[in-house]
Formats: sequence, C-alpha cells, structure tokens
Amino acid sequence: MAGVTHGDIVQITPDAVAASLARGDGGFGRNQRSYYDHPVLRGAHWRWEIIWYFYIGGLMSGSAILAAAADTFGAEGDEAVVRNGRWLALVGAAISPLLLIKDLGRPERFLNMTRILKLKSPMSVGVWSLLSFSGLSAIAVLEELRGRGRVPWLLGGLLPRGPRNLAHALAAAFTGSYTGVLISATAVPVWNSGRRQIPAIFVCSAVATACAAQAALLALRGGSARSINKLERIEFVASLTEGVLLVDYASSAGETGNALFGGETGQRLRANTLVGGIAVPALLNLASLFTKPSHAGKPNVVKTLIAAGLTLYGGYVLRKSLIEAGRASADDPRAALRQPE
Amino acid sequence: MIDDASPDMGFFTDVTLCIGCKACEVACKQWNQLPSDGYALSGNSYDNTGRLSATTWRHVDFVEQFDRINPAESRWVMMSDVCKHCTHAGCMEACPTGAIIRNEYGAVYVQPDICNGCGYCVPACPFGVIALEPDQGVAQKCTLCYDRMKDGIEPACAKACPTDSIQFGPVEQLKERARRRTEELLARNVPARLYGVDEDTSVGDLNAFFLITDRPEVFNLPPKPVLPSTYQPVAYLSGFLATAALAIVAMQAFRSR
Repeated sequence: MAGVTHGDIVQITPDAVAASLARGDGGFGRNQRSYYDHPVLRGAHWRWEIIWYFYIGGLMSGSAILAAAADTFGAEGDEAVVRNGRWLALVGAAISPLLLIKDLGRPERFLNMTRILKLKSPMSVGVWSLLSFSGLSAIAVLEELRGRGRVPWLLGGLLPRGPRNLAHALAAAFTGSYTGVLISATAVPVWNSGRRQIPAIFVCSAVATACAAQAALLALRGGSARSINKLERIEFVASLTEGVLLVDYASSAGETGNALFGGETGQRLRANTLVGGIAVPALLNLASLFTKPSHAGKPNVVKTLIAAGLTLYGGYVLRKSLIEAGRASADDPRAALRQPE
Repeated sequence: MIDDASPDMGFFTDVTLCIGCKACEVACKQWNQLPSDGYALSGNSYDNTGRLSATTWRHVDFVEQFDRINPAESRWVMMSDVCKHCTHAGCMEACPTGAIIRNEYGAVYVQPDICNGCGYCVPACPFGVIALEPDQGVAQKCTLCYDRMKDGIEPACAKACPTDSIQFGPVEQLKERARRRTEELLARNVPARLYGVDEDTSVGDLNAFFLITDRPEVFNLPPKPVLPSTYQPVAYLSGFLATAALAIVAMQAFRSR
C-alpha cells in the first residue's frame, strides 16, 4: 500500500485495477497521501549570494572571535592572529551587506531593514547584529592601525580594550550563529528538523574555517609556529564537534533528512565536508595536539596549506548543501505532510 | 481613521458546496489585476492552476476519488484554497521590515511599498502560500480584498461564488455557522470536519478556514501546521552553547605555552 498516491490514478492499467481489487481497499483514490504530489511548502529563493554570505559570515565571525581571544589571552607572537583576524573581519563585514542587498527583490529598499528591530524575526535580529559587527570590526581595525602609529587621531580609542574585545566577540558569535537560527525557524522540514544542531554546526564551522584561513596566512607569511600550533588545536576541536553534530543531525532527522544526507547532495556533503573538510584536516592537525606551542618547530607550510584548503572548501560545501537541500525539502510533499514529532 | 471596533473578518470555505467553477479564481484575478499564469495543461483533473502563488490568490483543488468496488461511493471533491490569515502568522513574524501587518479587519496584509523582497516570509509560511512576485520583486498573497472592505463590500471571490461555498463575514459568526453545518453533515453520514478551527496548533485558529470531507493532506493542507518561531528557543540555545564551549577552547589554546 505504501506509495499509493493520487498520482497513480492518472495511469489506471488493468493490472493496477486487479491489484486494487485484490487489496480490497475500495479502489483508487481512497488512500491519497497528497494532492497530485504537488509541493505543500515553498522554499527560500536564496542562490549563490546567500551561500557566500553564510560562508563569509562564518569566516569573518570566526576570525573576529580568534582575534579577540588572542588579544585577551594570547602570548607574545600572537599579534599576527589579532591583526589578521581583525582585517579578515572587516573585509567580510564589507562584502556581506553587498551580497545581502544584491539578493533582495528590491535592492534599493535595503534600508527598510532598519525601520524596526523585531526580536521575533531572526532576519531582523541578524541585520542589526551584522550592523553592530561591522561597526565593531571597523573600530577594531582602527585600533590596530592606531597601535602601529598609522592613525593619528583617537577614533580607535573609543572603547577600552577589554569591553571592545568582548563586544566584538559577542557580536561575531551572534552573527555567525543567527544564520543557523534563521534557517531552523522555518517551515522547511529538513531545516527545522536540524534546529538542535544547525546553529552549533555553523558556529563550529565558522571557528574552524577562520582557524584554517589564519593558519594558512601565517604559514604563507612566515608567521609564528606557536600561533599556528594554537590555531590548529582550536580547529581540531571545532571541526570534530562539527562532525559529531552533523552525524547527530543525520541520525535524528531520519527520513526528513534525505534532502540533505541522501542522494547526490549527501554524497557531496560526506565527501567534501565530513571526510575532506573535517576528518582529513583533523588527522593532519593531530600532531599539533601532542606538541606544546613552545616546542613547535618550523611550520610545515605544505601540510598547513593542505589542511586549511580542505577545511575551507568543506565549510563552503556545507553552506551550499544546506541551502540547496532546503529547496528540495520544501518541494517534497511527503516531507511536508509527515506529522511533526 | 482605523475602526478598532471592526470584528475580525474571514472566509468559511465549504467543500461540500463547491462545484469547481473557478469563478473565485477569475474574480480574484480580475479585481486584483493579477497577470495570467499561462495556458499549461496539468493532466491532473480540471486543475490547470496547480497551486497558490504570488499571482494566484485563489486556487481550486480537484480531488478525484474513484471507488471501483462501490462505484456509487465515488466522489469528486473541489476545494477553493486561499491564504489562511492565521491568528499567529509565520510570514508576519518572519518579516524583518514590518511590511507584513495585521490590518483593522484582522487580515494579514503585505504593504507592497514597504516590502523589499528579502523572501524570508516564503519559507516561514507553514502552508506554502506567500511567494515572491518576480516582476515587482516583492512578496504577495491574498489581501482579503482590503480595498473592497474599506468600501464595505465583500471580497471578489466570495461575491463571485455561485453556491456560497465561499462565505465571507465576521470570523466568530462564520465559526458558529461552520460548527452547525458540520453537525448537520455528520448527521447525514457525510464525513465532515473543520480545518483551522478548534484545533490545537501553534498557528492558532485560521481566519480563513475550511470544511473538508477527507484528511487534510488530500487537499494539500498540512495535517498539523507548526508556527516556525516555536523552533527558535532551542536553535538559539544550540548556537549559544557552541559559542560558550569554543570560547573556553580558544582561551585555553591561547593561554597554553
């Protein structure tokens, strides 16, 4: 009986009639599971702009968190992590709004986003979070320049160091995780079934990709081996947590998760994110866990670059797969009509 | 001047009275000046409209149920679908600009001059109703004929319906009438039930509700619609916990010597 839908009525063959009579279920059309298999829901229209915004948003938030942590807790030699992190945050904060505005149906009305602050809408909260993050990133970079004597005026000194780092890190963490809330709090089955994991996965991926980008920058520019070691330790934990959460998401979502974890999308996600973007870099970074930063020798540039490249690509595939799976899931009436738990 | 005393208005759509004439679809298109959707034939009974969209605010479902053992039991059920104007509307909660409001008649209304086409209301609707209109770049759906109501006339679809399958009026009155109608039909052994009234769902009662004679999914209605914002607390918590954990990890890593 499974799979008897209204769609079957269109082709009434003698065999199908005989089977129906044998079942004694009253014939066709008494077991309709949907309306001609038409979609029940509508997916988000989001295309490459939003995939890249989710990706860059994660990268910039992670970078800002690392910069704030390194500035507060770091030792001598971690200055490059602070500097690079602040610059990455500012560049990301400059690109993100452009991507978001380009995605709008009426880009010239982008300022309407700031008419109100609506706590119930993750989109509204996210806009304000991004705006705060941009401002704090600009202040952080000004401070960086001021510290190096490049900015003569006092603009960078608006906030004392401690609160400034804390505010930047908090705005970053919110900007990096609200996108997970944004997609979880929709009617799209594959997204809302991952509401326990997706925001945490985004935070982990944000920190992991930022560690990768920073480690690659340091390796390329002959930076401190100690800093690279520290970044690789953080990346190891963030990546593995992300991997565990992804597996948990896949197993708890069950059939509803097929749009993301089944078929070609699932294969691509497993190959590029779970294996390529998490497991392989974790193995490559494993040595750093057992070496104290002070004992870290000359950085292995090739190894660092390979691990970083794989992590960065895996993070991109994660965002792309999630957004595309959202549309597939919304178009699948069986997922939409399944009773929620 | 907004008349706060106006009761919430809505639709009661009764499938047992629908004859599938599509006058509601046509009247809606004409009054609201919505463009044609083309001339494609779907092959699915007489339904060549498919579903509600940014340019189709009424859509008649054609459900064919043939019973080959008792042919006399065969049915052809038609239902005119429309925006439900939920008590707790997912689209309205999701809208970041405040373009989607509840107007003085209790209807969920998109202000077309405020909407900037971010599209977040679209996946936030548990019924798949609201959609982006590509030419104007804004989200659109049924307005409950806001402009007609301002002049004290009923919406175009209800006016055009020849069998009163679509009834328009104060929601509380319509609900009373619908409950009586359901009892009448049940007494005549018609498997009638109300969809969107007296149900325990997070979207609340629907201001545009339905009397149906089969399970909701047969009419492409979700059996248990969920308001998406109910997913937010656990999602925010998920992000917060991960942030706290990674902050500790980063602190330890940068402190290590």
